[in-house]
Amino acid sequence: MQTPQDSMTFLDRVFSILPALRKPRNFFFYILPFSIVFGRVIPTQLASGLNDVGLAMVQLIAFPAIPLVLSAVMISIANIFSEDNRSAQRRLRFSSRFVISLTLTILLASLLALLLSIYQAPGVLSPDGKLSIGRFMLDTTDIRVGGDVAASSISSDFWITKIVPSNILADASAGQTLRVISGSVLAGLAMSRLNPGLTQPLLSLLRSVNTTSVQVLSIVLNLAPLVLICLISGAVSTINAEIVVALLNFTICVFLTAIASLGISRLVFRRFTSTRERATTDANPVDSVFLLSLSTGSSMTAYPLMFETLKGMGRDESEVEASASLSLLIARLGNVTYNVIAIVFALNLYDVGLTPVRFLEVIFLGAFTGISAAGLTGVATVPTIAVALSYFQVPIPPVLVLLLAIDPILTLPRAATTGVLAMAISVISSAKSSNSELSDVSSSSSLGLLSQQSDVASLEGG
Amino acid sequence: MSPKWPKAFVRHLIAFTLTVALLQALPALAAENSFINSIQQRGYLKVGLPPYNTPPAYYIDKKTEKLQGYDVELARELAGKLGVDLQFDRESKSFNSLVKRVGADDFDLAIGKLGLTYNRLFDAFPVQYLSFRHALLADRKFISSLGVDPEDNGFGDALKTSNIRIGSIENSTWETEAKVNFPNCTFVGYKNWEDAQKALLTVDPKTKISAIDAIYRDATEIKPIVYKDPDLSLKYVPVLFDDIIDRKSIYLSEKGYIGFSDFLDVFIRREWGEVKSDERILNEYQAYYQPVS
Repeated sequence: MQTPQDSMTFLDRVFSILPALRKPRNFFFYILPFSIVFGRVIPTQLASGLNDVGLAMVQLIAFPAIPLVLSAVMISIANIFSEDNRSAQRRLRFSSRFVISLTLTILLASLLALLLSIYQAPGVLSPDGKLSIGRFMLDTTDIRVGGDVAASSISSDFWITKIVPSNILADASAGQTLRVISGSVLAGLAMSRLNPGLTQPLLSLLRSVNTTSVQVLSIVLNLAPLVLICLISGAVSTINAEIVVALLNFTICVFLTAIASLGISRLVFRRFTSTRERATTDANPVDSVFLLSLSTGSSMTAYPLMFETLKGMGRDESEVEASASLSLLIARLGNVTYNVIAIVFALNLYDVGLTPVRFLEVIFLGAFTGISAAGLTGVATVPTIAVALSYFQVPIPPVLVLLLAIDPILTLPRAATTGVLAMAISVISSAKSSNSELSDVSSSSSLGLLSQQSDVASLEGG
Repeated sequence: MSPKWPKAFVRHLIAFTLTVALLQALPALAAENSFINSIQQRGYLKVGLPPYNTPPAYYIDKKTEKLQGYDVELARELAGKLGVDLQFDRESKSFNSLVKRVGADDFDLAIGKLGLTYNRLFDAFPVQYLSFRHALLADRKFISSLGVDPEDNGFGDALKTSNIRIGSIENSTWETEAKVNFPNCTFVGYKNWEDAQKALLTVDPKTKISAIDAIYRDATEIKPIVYKDPDLSLKYVPVLFDDIIDRKSIYLSEKGYIGFSDFLDVFIRREWGEVKSDERILNEYQAYYQPVS
């Protein structure tokens, strides 16, 4: 018979195992195979329950994201643009490097995705593939006219209204990430122009919020292995294997883009860091960011790792903080590359000819729709492609139905692409901290507080 | 002085008169529904059926070479309830001529997924037994070119007022309905349903466009096209109109409507199982509509 002490020991063991399972190596060798096998044996009814539990835990993991972004952006912008902390030349250098690297990365990522799509031709299907897709779409894409039609899911709001903040706290509580970012940037700029004595209480509060958010993220990330088991088992049990096979070219293309992005990010890391900086890290941090994002399906979970790694290399903390949070949340490079591939997939599917002009349109629309996915997670990002499909007059519902059918798998490489390319942007745009500036900054930077979090460092895992 | 009748004679006279009156009344009761009576006296129910094969409603079975289908079964059961045999007339040239002929008393009733139109009401009297939604099988590219999200409330109006090129069987209810429901459409009539389908699915290799943008019929004719060839779902989409219902009816002449519509109503409620929707028919005849394994 089990005594209370035994059960405590058992629970302690479970909770001690979870952080260890969070390591990417354990994800590949234990969690992924177990989840696939588990998904194959469980009844379908249980799968939907598992999926709901997984989504609830994803929501929990995502909950510290908004306060983390809000505090990190405000503190870092206030520090970077404060005339007391650094010279105008240094501010200009960071701003220009960040904007240029962000723009170039978006363009290069789009181009990379486009080239891979042209090579892989994701929407050119075999007759069997077409039949599988046709069977899958039977009854699901019928158009009903005159009945109780649901309101359109595609928002007709002008895109700029999604960026302009209204009330930063209301935007934060509504999960309007883009508005929170733009509001935080504006607030950070305002703080940088005020007397430090006036802003110090707010900065202290923001630092506390930031530290607490990182700590919360660290705690809830312990649930990541359970989230993965629930989501992958649920997906394996319910996903239509026939569709995955039919859309294999598309799936491969998305994974290839993630791997190519990893390669690019590694090159950037090597090119834009010194030997001394690289000596501060045991393993290649880009690999760790890739694996962590891939294993959790969320690029935001790699933020503490990116931050700690670059800070440990002696990069300016505020610049790292600003570039990492902004590139992770604004650029959404995984979505940009995914949308480019998805647009080419749709054009292939409907025999739309690909001309040089159309390539440019695909790159532009892929980047635009990908960035518009900022603040959205998982399958919610997929419908952003509708704007591009509508521009090319390609049928939207069947393409979305197909993309959504395999999205549980493709969320992972999408997150990994966002993670590694955001890391590349941070590496390019952040500079070494100067001792003179550091002495001023370290006292006010949130990074000092973040560095106290021993748990954050452990996120690197493997 | 009036003659005195014996009481016994008067009593017998009254009894005789009443008996004669009753005997006269009995044959009158038996001939109350002259329409049904004439069918029963003839010994068979004469049913008009369109000259086409429209499985699973009515068609010649290739193996048995006999007429089969749910319309044929309905007619058989009706004849059974009347206690008579059944005879089909398939000599009509079109759906419209079939309705005209039943109105002219060429047969007792006309059946065969016959839709309801104003013109047909000029010729005969309908009794509804099916309720099928109107449907299009439309080219997805045409639907996209409308520039309205199909989930948007304005999609229906955009489609109905578009310059869509619609194909269907010529001289059928669908020609009339297309002109009423899609006022700006161009209707292209085909000899039969197969030709209409071919026109939609065949793309000109030079222009890369089809002769028509959609084909028009009820949901039970549209849905099976994609059920039988699922890869068509990529390029073509069934558009189902919940607000345009085709009240498929059995047609009767004026005399038949007076004498037979109540009988038909009771039969449809009790034996047929109320007026059936297209979804119910698609489910009941799933083996035919969805042969995909």
